[in-house]
Amino acid sequence: MPGGNPSGIHQAFPQSVQPFFESVMATKDIVLDHVSIRFGAYTAVDNAHLVIKGGEFFSFLGPSGCGKTTLLRCISGFSDPTEGRVLIGGQDMKGIGPNKRPTALIFQNLALFPLMSVSDNIAFPLEVRGVGRKDRRKRADELLEMIALPGVGDKKVHELSGGQRQRVAIARALAVEPDILLLDEPLSALDLKLRHHMRTELRTIQQQVGLTFIYITHDQGEALTMSDRVAVMNAGVIEQVDPPESIYNRPKTSFVASFVGESNAIEGKVASQAETLVSIETPLGRLQGQAAGGRQYKAGDDCILFIRPEQLSIGDGLPNAVTANWVKEEFEGNSRQLFLEANGVPLRLSRVNLGGTADTRSGAVVPVGFAPDQAIVLPHGVLAGA
Amino acid sequence: MNRGTGGGAVAAGFSLLFFSFLFGPLIIMVITAFNSSSFPRITPWECFTTEWFAVLFANDRLMSGLLNSLVIAVSVVAIAVPIGLAGALALSELSSRLRAVLYTVLITPILIPGVVLGISTIVFWGALGRGVGAEYGSFFFDGMFLTLAGQVTFISAYAMLVFLARLQRFDPILTEAALDLGATPGQAFRKILLPFLGPAIGSATFLTFLASFENYNTTVFTILSGNTFTTALASKVRHGTDPSLSALAVIIIGVTLIGAIVHEAHTRRKEVLRTGIARRSRIYGNPVLKTLVHPLTVFLILAGIAGLATWQGTRHDASVCKQQVLDDKRARQQELLEEQRRKMQEQQKTTAPVSAPAGAAGKANPSPFGGAFSPNGLTPGREEPAPADAPAKANPSPFGGAFNPNGLKPSQ
Amino acid sequence: MQALQTAFKQIAGKHGLGAATFVGVAVLIWVIFLIALPQIAMLDYSFRFNLPASDVGGPQDVYTLDNYAYFFQGNDGTVNTLDIGILVRTLIAAVFVTCIDILLCYPIAFILAHSATGVAARMMVIGLIVPFWVNEILRAFAFRVLFGATGLINGVGMSIGLWDQPVDFIRADVALYSGLTYAYILLMVFPIFNAVEALDRNQIEAARDMGASWWRVHWRVVLPVAKSGIASGATMVFMLTAGALAAPQILGGPSSLWFTQLIYQWFNESANWQRGSAYAVILLIVCISFVMMLMRVFKVSIGEIGR
Repeated sequence: MPGGNPSGIHQAFPQSVQPFFESVMATKDIVLDHVSIRFGAYTAVDNAHLVIKGGEFFSFLGPSGCGKTTLLRCISGFSDPTEGRVLIGGQDMKGIGPNKRPTALIFQNLALFPLMSVSDNIAFPLEVRGVGRKDRRKRADELLEMIALPGVGDKKVHELSGGQRQRVAIARALAVEPDILLLDEPLSALDLKLRHHMRTELRTIQQQVGLTFIYITHDQGEALTMSDRVAVMNAGVIEQVDPPESIYNRPKTSFVASFVGESNAIEGKVASQAETLVSIETPLGRLQGQAAGGRQYKAGDDCILFIRPEQLSIGDGLPNAVTANWVKEEFEGNSRQLFLEANGVPLRLSRVNLGGTADTRSGAVVPVGFAPDQAIVLPHGVLAGA
Repeated sequence: MNRGTGGGAVAAGFSLLFFSFLFGPLIIMVITAFNSSSFPRITPWECFTTEWFAVLFANDRLMSGLLNSLVIAVSVVAIAVPIGLAGALALSELSSRLRAVLYTVLITPILIPGVVLGISTIVFWGALGRGVGAEYGSFFFDGMFLTLAGQVTFISAYAMLVFLARLQRFDPILTEAALDLGATPGQAFRKILLPFLGPAIGSATFLTFLASFENYNTTVFTILSGNTFTTALASKVRHGTDPSLSALAVIIIGVTLIGAIVHEAHTRRKEVLRTGIARRSRIYGNPVLKTLVHPLTVFLILAGIAGLATWQGTRHDASVCKQQVLDDKRARQQELLEEQRRKMQEQQKTTAPVSAPAGAAGKANPSPFGGAFSPNGLTPGREEPAPADAPAKANPSPFGGAFNPNGLKPSQ
Repeated sequence: MQALQTAFKQIAGKHGLGAATFVGVAVLIWVIFLIALPQIAMLDYSFRFNLPASDVGGPQDVYTLDNYAYFFQGNDGTVNTLDIGILVRTLIAAVFVTCIDILLCYPIAFILAHSATGVAARMMVIGLIVPFWVNEILRAFAFRVLFGATGLINGVGMSIGLWDQPVDFIRADVALYSGLTYAYILLMVFPIFNAVEALDRNQIEAARDMGASWWRVHWRVVLPVAKSGIASGATMVFMLTAGALAAPQILGGPSSLWFTQLIYQWFNESANWQRGSAYAVILLIVCISFVMMLMRVFKVSIGEIGR
């Protein structure tokens, strides 16, 4: 029974739990060794190769259908990879069922058992391992204490609120101290406010128990705020694995650049490259940006220059000056989104709202520009939403 | 009409007609159970009587059939419910093409006419029995076994439909969650899926029991020379009827209604408790009313009423009234007879009375006292000197002498 | 076979080996010993002569088309108009009863699904179910009480002077058709109800809002949704009516037989099981082909039956 050590924790959970998990976690790396998963001719996951370190909060981020849930089900043991291996703590998991792996999965709809009380739900993993009724109850109470829901043990699941159910699902998954907690878009059913609150809470719980969290989401906000590292996936391929800041600031593919955050994508051909500074020929004239990840381009290569809306500024005499026409403005409270157009290329510019009202009229000429070191030049590739 | 809601009044009117069609025949049948007329009818009303219940319970063939039916029904439930569950589980796991094939195969027993199922069952098991050289007394030729086999064939499909409907609402993620939390597949099945199917097991049990108990088309073939309740009932209906069948209907409808009302009280209570509006509800907030609408209380009250009615029924004596009706009829016939005799003396062709059921009685006992009682008409009275031998002689039908107040067992 | 093995493994993986074995064994017994083999045995039987027990398996026990030939030609080689007539009449009557049931049940199913609310709806459901807990024989008996020569309708009719001789409703088959219509109402209401209930009420309101008359709303919006339910209900009602035995025995007139009664006679009165089997096969094939044909016409699949 890997990871199953029901008697391992019996004191008050929050205080005692941390050192216990810290002692195990170093050995609990997860290795995806060239994992491919195919259904017939369809490739759901293509050659995923990475190491998730023990104790890490690791997110898979991608649009729906990108293969992230398939990969998660493969880690938790509901399917085996078509090619490659999944190793947990150095052990090949092939043929080991979900009930024998040191993982616990939190399902998208939580999958709490509707006919059981909250306590019975939380103690279910202990029940199937033959732990006695009294010990089960005690452990359930400890866990309810940990998730700050003492005294709801006898309630039925449907009597809880969405956020409470969320926490109960986490408590249930933690009942037998798994090494790895897998979370499949667990916040998607909650409303916006609660979702934001639960982000903080999840992160706190993770730091408290020190487990490896593998988190699946299509919401970049969740991935960026909570994770230690993020893997961005598209069409079965892992495009980039990096800490959140690098993902946002230094995307390595055009998909990542367009999927994470808003970006203006300006297509063009490379004219010249000096060190990391690339000059490209675009419909807006010659523009300069940084070659991502120290790439070397040849003159004439197809490429895309990405510049974030907040890095564009209005004014004369700026570097990379572009003359654009004003199309419309959207007011978003804390910011104003300006939609511009230059020689058929749509541009978006975001400004902090400092009060006052919009002063420009449709068709008016707006001079804009941006610093070359804020723009990123990437080889031509798939864009998100394209 | 074109802006209405489909016609509230029309809808209500149609519903009313529809439900009168559903309940009318049953209500009329129930009423005939209490008319002393030897043929089940309301008009003309003769006397209020409870004797048909006694006649019913004195019918040995029906009662032994009832025992057979119960044995068969319990066995059918025990076999058909698990088979139906297995069928539903198999269907839920098959690939879509295989699933369509199996579904068609498993659903056909419902569509095949019952007589065909009955025939194929006896033919197959008979052939099998002969094939293995079984004796004639072996189970291959036993009506009970054959009925069981024939009924299970299609009743399992009913159970399967119940389970399929429930399974459709099962979230397979729950099983996966159980596995992920360390349960073995067997544990997940027992602790997650089976409890979820609990209500379906209940309704499937009820449905299969009822289907088995009521079945006629298949059973009439498979029971061979034996009898179940329904086949005995059918042969009784086919060979002349009397209101003891109405009495049976009264009992069945009574039990059904009590069951339905208790069940309704139960579901309502569960609903109220589940939604947690119990405290706000006027009825469930009040402790006295709350006890009053508890299913058990409802059942006890209804059972008490039924018991009281039964007890009252056993004490009711309709013999006096019946005697009067009889005498009344006889007197009328006598008058008619006299008249005819006077008119058609030379011909002497017919002296047979016109009106049907009691006609024989009139012939059998041309009582000279007949006319004497007619002035008293239908008013019952204890002081009336009823001729002791008249009813038995006058009426050859089973109810006359068979009336026995102790024959009706109180239900408690 | 391969697919069955995969399915078995899948069930074993999901619900455990015990459950998978139980499912496999139960379904196999059901399909083979209760569904398939009996039908095959009956088919085989229908091609044999009615021999005394001592000759069974002997040299005379050979296959024959005799029993089927009898249905078409009788004993004397002419067309067996009597038996064929009974079959045709049974089918026509079953179609008639099915149509009446559709007309009766569609409005009720719609009212139940979309007009009735709360207590009224619950009462309607109970009201629909309760009569069908009463034994089938007794329900037929109730119609006999109603329509008999001395029944309520004749009694009332005669006493208020509508007619002076008892009308023989039994001989006119009025009692039989009413009884059959009554017998399978429930099997028509619930499939239609299930189908209609899935309809979003907003669609009806939207259609009304756009000025459609109530019958047009039904024709264009509700009926297309109800179609699968009607097909499912009609299939069951038709098959059960055509295969009914109790109601025709109890309510049928003396001169008009139901086809199932013919089968019953071959078995229980003439003791000719072989010919009875042949007649049963004929009934089965005719009914199933008839239903299949209608399903093709109305473009519904058998998978929708029983939902």
